[in-house]
Amino acid sequence: MTGPYGVGIGWRPEIAGFVAELPGLRFVEVVAESVPATGPLPPGLAQLRERAVTVVPHGVRLSLGGAEPVEPARVAHLAAVAQRVDAPLVSEHIAFVRAGGLEAGHLLPLPRSREAVDAVCANVARAQADLPVPIALEPIAALVDWPDDELDEADFLTEILDRTGALLLLDVANLHANARNRGTDPLALLDRLPLDRVGYVHVAGGAEHSGFYHDTHTDPVPPAVLELVGALCARRRPPALLLERDGDYPPAAQLRAELDALAAAANFPPVT
Amino acid sequence: MIVYAASGDTWGIPGPTFLRLYLVATAVTVALAVFHRVRLAAGSVDAPAGPLGPQQVAYLNGGPRLAVHAALGGLRGSGAIGVGPDRRLVTTGPTPSGLTPLDQAIHWAAHQRARATDLPQDRRVREALDQLQAGLEQRGLLRSRAQYDTARRWAGFVFALLGLGVFRLVSGLFNDRPVGYLMLVLIPVLVAALLLRRVPRRTRAGRAALRDVRRQHTHLAPASSPAFATYGAAGAAMGVALYGTVSLWALDPGFAEQAEIQRQAASGSGWSGSSGGASGDGGGSSCSGGSSCGGGGGCGGGGCGG
Repeated sequence: MTGPYGVGIGWRPEIAGFVAELPGLRFVEVVAESVPATGPLPPGLAQLRERAVTVVPHGVRLSLGGAEPVEPARVAHLAAVAQRVDAPLVSEHIAFVRAGGLEAGHLLPLPRSREAVDAVCANVARAQADLPVPIALEPIAALVDWPDDELDEADFLTEILDRTGALLLLDVANLHANARNRGTDPLALLDRLPLDRVGYVHVAGGAEHSGFYHDTHTDPVPPAVLELVGALCARRRPPALLLERDGDYPPAAQLRAELDALAAAANFPPVT
Repeated sequence: MIVYAASGDTWGIPGPTFLRLYLVATAVTVALAVFHRVRLAAGSVDAPAGPLGPQQVAYLNGGPRLAVHAALGGLRGSGAIGVGPDRRLVTTGPTPSGLTPLDQAIHWAAHQRARATDLPQDRRVREALDQLQAGLEQRGLLRSRAQYDTARRWAGFVFALLGLGVFRLVSGLFNDRPVGYLMLVLIPVLVAALLLRRVPRRTRAGRAALRDVRRQHTHLAPASSPAFATYGAAGAAMGVALYGTVSLWALDPGFAEQAEIQRQAASGSGWSGSSGGASGDGGGSSCSGGSSCGGGGGCGGGGCGG
């Protein structure tokens, strides 16, 4: 049950055979909702656990940012998965996926208001009460800001982390996307974030479409994102970096090269 | 009186005497049949070891036709072949290196614009398949034709004894003689005969090897929607070898459809048919080609075994 360390990769059934053959791998993340609470673990995941690879369950359906209280059954599932894979921590998004009983089907950003901070903190506290391990919170990418934002990104996050005691799951690709799409400076934001609270970091690929950068998770990691990883590590190196790839999987050599580039950018030992 | 009583016996042999003799004869025959099966199934031990390639796994799992499909998956995965609008194969780009004899034969056939469905009849492909089969026989993973025939012959002897027993039973019934014990004896003989008649092409070692490979490649199961682009040509070939042409369809549905490759899952339990490649068109094509074969019931009993 050691914390995530070094370069990891998001474990997906589609590339389970690739992940299983990374000799230096010490850390993966798994979508919590894809792991059953009972019954056998997916075979590839069970093998990784036998190799003492750290597995971090990553929730996507908790809707911590929702106005209504987080559903106890979803927290219970996350807790059960954390226990099954002996996870040192779990993670979820600062976002909402449903409101008024309607499922959005994907992660929606919150307005950065004091009211929203209160709602998130209340939900995180509810989740923390039932989780056996610490939780790391991940801010999500948004193409636009809400008009009634009272706080800026850094204050909003710092406030939530301070009040909940949660860890930060920083997504460098999101950081890049937000800065690129809003014309702000990602380094200025980095300087104001509580980097000592980072549990681990997400890195993913994306692509530009009609003037906007999209955090697709199905494209290669662009050089600008790798540079941002370097800038982050120059300030304070996070314990671990995780490559997220969710589709359009490239040949193994390319995926290995991405992991190597990530290791090089953060001066971690290569896992390939 | 004694003479009359004896003459009342079926075939002039008293029931208990016949039963004793019959039991001894069937026990010895079944024992010999089992001995031959086990001895043959053990395979030769000094055969060269080493991991099985996708085409060997495919042959073991689904016979010559699946081996061809596994090779097609590998060649397509490496971009060496394609299919034209006339549904004939084409070669694309330079010949990749590290091809197996079967790959080479199929690549050549594709160069000659063969159809995928005709590949098992192609002379060079058939030679490569025979070679593949011989290699698996040498490693003791497949029974050879001779071993298969021997096992079937011993099953035949047990059937002959079963027939004798049934004949005696019927005669006894017509003679109004007690047949209860004989009937009891015939049930296990029937069971033994039916079990012995099923001679799978795979040996015990072959089944174990296949199990091992399957355990090592669960990530290629269609349920995981494996990323064949990541797993490469070898992964694609192994996916077809273990899970059937569904993997080929997942890899490249356009190619599979255009090349008229039937989508089917390999159940892996049933390929027990004939000598396949060796005798050419004997049972091989009809047995492993059709979806009826996958379950083992259709062909397993020897329906296509001849």
